Amino acid sequence: MRKVIGAFLAIALVAGVAVVAHGPGPAGAQGGGTIEASVTYAGAPVVEKLKVNKDTEKCGTEAVIEKVVVGANKGLANAVVSVPGAKGAAKAVKATVDQHGCKFVPHVTAMTPGELDLKNSDDILHNIHTYSTANPSINKAQPKFKKVMTEKFEKPEIIKLTCDVHSWMLGWVAVMPNPFFGVTDANGVTKIDNVPAGKYTVEAWHETLGKQTKDVEVKAGQATKVAFEMKK
Amino acid sequence: MPTRLAGVAILVALWFFAGALPAHGQAGDATAGKAVYERKCLECHGEKGDGKGPAAELLAPRPRDFTAGLYKIRTTANKVPTDQDLFRIITDGMPGTSMPSWAVLPERDRWNLVAYIKSFAADKFKEAPKQLELPKEVASSAESIKRGKEMFEAIECHKCHGTEGRADGPSRSELKDEWGHPIPPANLTKRWTFRGGSSRTEIATRLANGVLGTPMPAFLDSVEKPEDIWHLTNFILSLGPESPHYATLISVTATTAAIPDDPNAELWKNLTSSNVPLMGQVIVDPRNFNPAIDLVAVRAMYNDKEIAFHLTWDDPTQSADEAAKKLVADGISLQFPPQIAAGTERPYFLMGDASDAVYLLRWENAKGVTEATANGPTKIVPIQGGEATAKAVYANGQYRLVIKRPLVSKDASRPTFVPAVFMPVAFQAWDGGAGEGGTKMSLTSWYYLRLEEPQSNRRFVIPPVVAILTLAVMLLVVRVANRRA
Repeated sequence: MRKVIGAFLAIALVAGVAVVAHGPGPAGAQGGGTIEASVTYAGAPVVEKLKVNKDTEKCGTEAVIEKVVVGANKGLANAVVSVPGAKGAAKAVKATVDQHGCKFVPHVTAMTPGELDLKNSDDILHNIHTYSTANPSINKAQPKFKKVMTEKFEKPEIIKLTCDVHSWMLGWVAVMPNPFFGVTDANGVTKIDNVPAGKYTVEAWHETLGKQTKDVEVKAGQATKVAFEMKK
Repeated sequence: MPTRLAGVAILVALWFFAGALPAHGQAGDATAGKAVYERKCLECHGEKGDGKGPAAELLAPRPRDFTAGLYKIRTTANKVPTDQDLFRIITDGMPGTSMPSWAVLPERDRWNLVAYIKSFAADKFKEAPKQLELPKEVASSAESIKRGKEMFEAIECHKCHGTEGRADGPSRSELKDEWGHPIPPANLTKRWTFRGGSSRTEIATRLANGVLGTPMPAFLDSVEKPEDIWHLTNFILSLGPESPHYATLISVTATTAAIPDDPNAELWKNLTSSNVPLMGQVIVDPRNFNPAIDLVAVRAMYNDKEIAFHLTWDDPTQSADEAAKKLVADGISLQFPPQIAAGTERPYFLMGDASDAVYLLRWENAKGVTEATANGPTKIVPIQGGEATAKAVYANGQYRLVIKRPLVSKDASRPTFVPAVFMPVAFQAWDGGAGEGGTKMSLTSWYYLRLEEPQSNRRFVIPPVVAILTLAVMLLVVRVANRRA
């Protein structure tokens, strides 16, 4: 009888742990809240175009350099929203940037310190040339047969990615001190989950429009909205 | 006792020498270096070491900005150069740039300069330099060069350096250095202009760890096999001669054959070229401080009717007159005195002057050749009834051009070419794509041209006759000697 009760208890415990681990949804787990950020820009999109004189079968005949991408309701894409003051462990998933169609995809990658996989799915020569101060800058060739290169970025900073072979290629890697960040989508919106409850300064960064901060209070199990309006 | 004294003397001498000779990489004295810097380096590199000295504006490439702590030439795997790397550049200079060799300075001064230069970016030098380890060396062979060529194509060196290595790749115009200044790729056929030296190890090192602050990336981890670095090195070494072997005299070969118009004809290929160095025109405004064309290879032939000049020069951009883009056509010209004067008097080398004209054979891309009289670089008047013809080809960043003209001139405004006479000749060249045109040119001072005497059949007759006569005299001497004995 004791054995049966013991088994029952064990099963109940395992089940209980499983329920807790799956959690009651992103908001509120471990006493965290969600930040729902929106970034807007009232100005016009900035797009530069360049005639391509090489690798046109991969790059197309016209390179489009999207410096400011504005979507529906003035939503500003490619802005990094982060909570620098929050405490949390690094993300386990390795970040990836692909060089595809002579573009860095995604245009802005956010990651916690660690390794970044740089893929070359174009089947032509690219060179990864980074501009950084805290991390060592890199200029490494990535010929067509080198499909993936892994580089380490250990210190938080925002790093510019370029390719000298295709001068229009531009990308950004935002190395963030904690996992509480998001990159705005085409509508200028992003969501940061599981932010421990507390008062924070939220930061929004855009490659050409600069940086803005807003103070928010995150409450456990609740969504906090924060809106940034970027200006030139 | 005497041995002891000698021992002490040797020790003292050793100590003395050790003190006098700086050890390899020994830290210099930055304060002493500052004094030398202010005398020798400041004009270009600036008081603050930021590469913005008074002369910087005129230089391309720009002087190094020491505050960035970023150095092109290093033998290390990380970004920090060794003291020896900096010392070597100070000592040897950088070919193809305005950085001269400072071997004239005492060695101590150069080490002190190293210490002072490092102090402009002290935080960058906190990291210890990590020596680069090159893969095991592969000697050059036909096979290695072939593999190097395959790799050259696979890793697409041509994107910047061009198919034949003449810096004419499609990415050329897009390249910028870390400071945003345009930077041309290296012309791999002229390795005497390589910034970090042209030895095998130096080339392999540039390939392996790249050229910092420029678009040239590191390839050590980006070739198929590590030893490909050496195959590439061997291929690059096969692209051009070790040195330009500049000529002092241009010899015009006599021929009885018809002279081919085609610059790629076999007859032309069989002639060795005289390589003539060109300099920027810095006498008349607007001046050309950074000439694009630094060498023209000259071949020449004549027969009883005409004289022909075959000119080869590198130009990474083919350009014709285009007003919309403010482009001037690429061009080249040969300059002669209108008449061969007795004595050493020659017209002013910069296209003559008001009193003494020069005769020009001018070729411009898409226009062809003209004969002209010039009384200075801005006073060029075409000669009526020009008889010169020209044919040019442009391929892979290089022009090859044949200009022909009758040997004998019809009037006093142009010279007649006479065998066995030293004839002054000078050259001017323009790279329209680099913004050159008018007085913005590269040029030479006067050189000499000499038409070989036509080879007669006497050379087949006289040597055998001399040989037979000599033999006869020898036999005579032997006979006389024998008789006396």
